[in-house]
Amino acid sequence: MGEGTRPSSPWEGCVTGIEVVSSSYHQTPPFPLSKYEKTYIQAALRELSPIRADGRSLFDYRSTALETGVASLANGSARVNIGKTAGEESGSGAEVIAAVKLEVEDVLEGEGVDGGRIVFTVSCSPAAYPHLSSTALDDLSYDTTIILNQCLSHPSLHPKNLTISPRRKSWSLNLDIMVLSDSGNVYDALFLAARSALWDAKVPKTRSVQYQPKSNILGDQDVEMSADGSGSIFNTREVAKAADFELADWWDEGEPLRVNREWPVCVTLNLVPAKSLLMYFADVTPHEEASMPLRLLLLFSFSPSGTRLRSMRLMGDGEVQLESMTLLLEGGENHAKKLFEALGKKLEEEDLRRNQKAQVKFDLR
Amino acid sequence: MITFTSFPKSKDSFSYTAAKFSAVDGNDMDVDVYGDDYGEDFDSGTKLTYPGESITSSYDYMRGHGTFIDQGNVISSVAGTIERVNKLVSVRAIRTRYNPEVGDLIVGRITEVQPRRWKVDANSRQDAVLMLSSINLPGGVQRRKLESDELQMRQFFEGGDLLVAEVQAFFADGAMSLHTRSLTYGKLRNGQLVCVPPILIRRLKSHFVSLPCNVDLILGLNGYIWVSKHIDQNRQPGEEGLDAESVYSNQNEAIDAPTRMAVSRVTNLIKVLASHFVPLSDVILLEAYEWAVENDVEVKDLTQPDICEGLIATVGTKG
Repeated sequence: MGEGTRPSSPWEGCVTGIEVVSSSYHQTPPFPLSKYEKTYIQAALRELSPIRADGRSLFDYRSTALETGVASLANGSARVNIGKTAGEESGSGAEVIAAVKLEVEDVLEGEGVDGGRIVFTVSCSPAAYPHLSSTALDDLSYDTTIILNQCLSHPSLHPKNLTISPRRKSWSLNLDIMVLSDSGNVYDALFLAARSALWDAKVPKTRSVQYQPKSNILGDQDVEMSADGSGSIFNTREVAKAADFELADWWDEGEPLRVNREWPVCVTLNLVPAKSLLMYFADVTPHEEASMPLRLLLLFSFSPSGTRLRSMRLMGDGEVQLESMTLLLEGGENHAKKLFEALGKKLEEEDLRRNQKAQVKFDLR
Repeated sequence: MITFTSFPKSKDSFSYTAAKFSAVDGNDMDVDVYGDDYGEDFDSGTKLTYPGESITSSYDYMRGHGTFIDQGNVISSVAGTIERVNKLVSVRAIRTRYNPEVGDLIVGRITEVQPRRWKVDANSRQDAVLMLSSINLPGGVQRRKLESDELQMRQFFEGGDLLVAEVQAFFADGAMSLHTRSLTYGKLRNGQLVCVPPILIRRLKSHFVSLPCNVDLILGLNGYIWVSKHIDQNRQPGEEGLDAESVYSNQNEAIDAPTRMAVSRVTNLIKVLASHFVPLSDVILLEAYEWAVENDVEVKDLTQPDICEGLIATVGTKG
């Protein structure tokens, strides 16, 4: 886990907009459901026209709120809430906040990797899972981190602009995600937040600096050492090599991560236990989550070059026929596409909103 | 499908709708009984206190729950409504766990099966206790409990089961003891559970509400509400027919689609009303249900902000 010596936490200074989440009277999963509550939910879904506990149709999402730029000290951040009840202040819905923080790492001496590296960390807040002990909470955080890691750390998703100076310095990208409250469908929220934060992330512009010994003055030996300390002052063979970098003084915050913006979205398909027909639905409430034995996480990314299934994962103790997997994948792709498009539109709106806000602030000066 | 919205501005989240409803205090019977006999230097029951607010002088009054004394003043330690019985001043917090009283009707969920007792989650500070001796055993109300009953306790209630019960007494540590020794109490089936803050449930003549849309409600005073299909009174098991099959069965009855829709609709209405802090009673729920049917609102649209506002406006004016 990417903990250790972190110069400054990305959560600092992001007090605005985060409410204290209290789940005093919300029953949180996985509380035990009685047998007849489960059969009630399952039977309602097996009706000719399926009925869900809150009247939604099978693929309706609850109201989903998204905001980028919530942590001012982070290089990119986002907050997502699925299922907040209108009028309720806090503690309802699955709320996830994600922040991207970039750090300079030394490739030669530090633990940096040439070309940069990405570290994902998910932490589940005890407020979201009040019934869990601290060790169980750690396990849950760790498991979720693994899922995020396996899905997002594929080489094809590695941003190409994390290098500062080749073979010397690179950026390490830390994506920290915090689950503030969980009321079902937390994986969709997690990946929505991850994609939004990575979309929002800006890599600072850098310029390499190098020393050029003045050769016209005889006997003058530059007393300054190169910043990385590797080159001796007597080493004159590598004079043309960039030794360090400085931040370009530019009005913009930097450039976005260069991965063709292919970060995937996740749809969780929950399979209704039925003998013959295959039935599944999205965006579960905790009660529905507790009564479905099996769910399938599908991660898709859509780009002009084509649709890609990034990852899939079957969770739960039920079983599914191999033949039905194709149907599930097709269905999942459809819904993921709609989700992806809606998210893309919202992210552009958010960019626009924040640019306008920045413009207003600038004009006021 | 899915549409993304923005988070409300943070200042909006402080616009508390509670002030509109002065009936926040659930039992105003035991307040103000002696109102005029004592010099009123504070309001009781009408206004919300904030933590740290000075209520009255500690020389004239005694401090109760939710208050503390500092420099000769009784000071509120929670946000809530002031209650006074004679010289005792206490503050009833708005957001709190359920404070049980003997005789309260509650809806609870079994969390654990222990020797001769069940532990029940009732939204209180401690789990409630349901003794094997305080349930109706199959085969008649007056039957003594047997050793075989102790061995098959899971036939009656098992972990996760929901039940409606009455608070019978308190143990020394403050945990409540429940009983289900009535034919109206027992295991809950054919419906779904909604949770609301306990302060929103007002004390009613009957907490078993039957709505004309074929839906039964059990308003537990602990904030758990059971919404289920209507069961005809005549079809309730009589004393002779009290066998484990019918009372402690884990099978739902057949429920038709309109009833399921009605259950979902009532559930959503309760959620909306609770999120706007409207105290729930049978009258208000009926009014809200009629409003939803009159305006032909789809069940899933009930949670949309503009429709919520409309509902709250109508129900709020009459209620």
